[in-house]
Amino acid sequence: MSYLVCVLLFGLMVGSVGVASNPSPYFAAMGLVMVSGVGCGVLICFGGSFLPLVFFLIYLGGMMVVFAFSAALSAEPYPYGWGNRSVKMYVAAYVLGVGCAWKVLLGKWSGFWGGILDESGELLVLRGDMMGVAAMHDVGGWMLVLGGLGLLLTLFVVLELVRGVSRGGLRTV
Amino acid sequence: MNPYLLIVLLTSLGLGTALTLSSTHWLLAWLGLEVGTLAILPLMAQPHHPRATEAATKYFIVQATAAATLLFAAINNAWLQGHWDIQHMSHPLFTSMITLALLLKLGLAPMHTWMPEVIQGVSLNTGLIVSTWQKIAPFILLLQIKQIHPPLLTIIGLASILIGGWGGLNQTQLRKILAYSSIAHLGWMVLILQHSTALATFALLIYIFMTSATFITLKKCKATTINMLTTTWTKAPTITLVAPLMLLSLGGLPPLSGFAPKWFILQELTQQNFIPHASIAALAALLSLYYYLRLSYSITLSLSPNNLPECLQWRVNYPISTPLSSALPAALALTLFLLPLTPSALTLII
Repeated sequence: MSYLVCVLLFGLMVGSVGVASNPSPYFAAMGLVMVSGVGCGVLICFGGSFLPLVFFLIYLGGMMVVFAFSAALSAEPYPYGWGNRSVKMYVAAYVLGVGCAWKVLLGKWSGFWGGILDESGELLVLRGDMMGVAAMHDVGGWMLVLGGLGLLLTLFVVLELVRGVSRGGLRTV
Repeated sequence: MNPYLLIVLLTSLGLGTALTLSSTHWLLAWLGLEVGTLAILPLMAQPHHPRATEAATKYFIVQATAAATLLFAAINNAWLQGHWDIQHMSHPLFTSMITLALLLKLGLAPMHTWMPEVIQGVSLNTGLIVSTWQKIAPFILLLQIKQIHPPLLTIIGLASILIGGWGGLNQTQLRKILAYSSIAHLGWMVLILQHSTALATFALLIYIFMTSATFITLKKCKATTINMLTTTWTKAPTITLVAPLMLLSLGGLPPLSGFAPKWFILQELTQQNFIPHASIAALAALLSLYYYLRLSYSITLSLSPNNLPECLQWRVNYPISTPLSSALPAALALTLFLLPLTPSALTLII
């Protein structure tokens, strides 16, 4: 288990570096897919199952598909991959940074493992994350309504900003 | 823009700030900040021009970064401390992180670079909203946090006053000058924040009056550079007469309203035995005063180097009554004459 978590966390770091090193959005989308997929795996290893499922379906199934589609639609003729010089420099810097952080923090967060999602430590029928979702809909219902209103506003804002051929902020489409 | 959409956006702009002001929960406060940011984006990109689009993009990126930092710190705080209360933040790391995020939203000194760029790219009306209404929500949140690390705000406040003064010196664009003026004023508020929240609120109030008056006046003169100000006397003679007083009020000179917040802030700092801070702030305000004086000189004390007949307007501008221009007299009166009423204004706030 510990080995699996280590591999997954390594994948998380690789994916993050892949996004953060500024390649073209077309390639960065792949890094994001890796980060989110592996992140779901890490959450499952820590005992959650519902949260990663929702995350996987909505983030990867919904948002990433749209993002990859838009990135492909506005693809550059000569995209920057991870082999380009500037991107390579960023990759080296981030890897070095992660290495230093690992060296510094090694052993300090050792009590950190496990029990994030099930803090009670008992065997329950309901998992912590499912109970959390139920509590969120029960106690925080109005907050969710407000969040929905905010998302509706975002829809209008985006529609206005990318309005059409001549009036919008986007040029190429 | 579609009028229905405009109504939706303006309502949301108000709603966002109202949500933040009425919240005691970090998540709701964050939601209000995000709604306020999103609602203003189409307004910023309104004159359909690459510069406006660029300004809107920059504003979005900066505000989203700040909001994400705030949310990250709030969630971590909830994880470690077990509550979401705004007023009971006690973890030093996350308190500092949230403070810095809010300061980025407000545009204070080390995080100020977006502010002149964004204000320069948008129209004067939108610039008015960005530099007044959009400051309220983050500032009120900043008031509510209990500061754990006192030098942080003091250093940032002093740096903002200095940079707001220095940055504006070499500018010829009015909107950039106003952005630097805004940075300097917010520096004063942040400097006094941990000694007296009432004084900080008072300073914010006076700043909003003064900045509104300035933006509306510039809109009235249709001026965006210093050179364009020199023909103000042919367009609006009354404004030509009053504008220097308004600018000197922004600079904080005695019988005008702008003097009141600076006066009380300096007094409070001196009473708390922060005499070096008070001296640095007072001296750095002179830097700002220099560019206010230069603006007054261009408006009132000099003529445009053209032939005199050429300066005259070809047709009479009948005053068109827009909501903003009808707010100008009130804003001007508050900018110029509030000093004698300061005791009652302070009583209202305290």
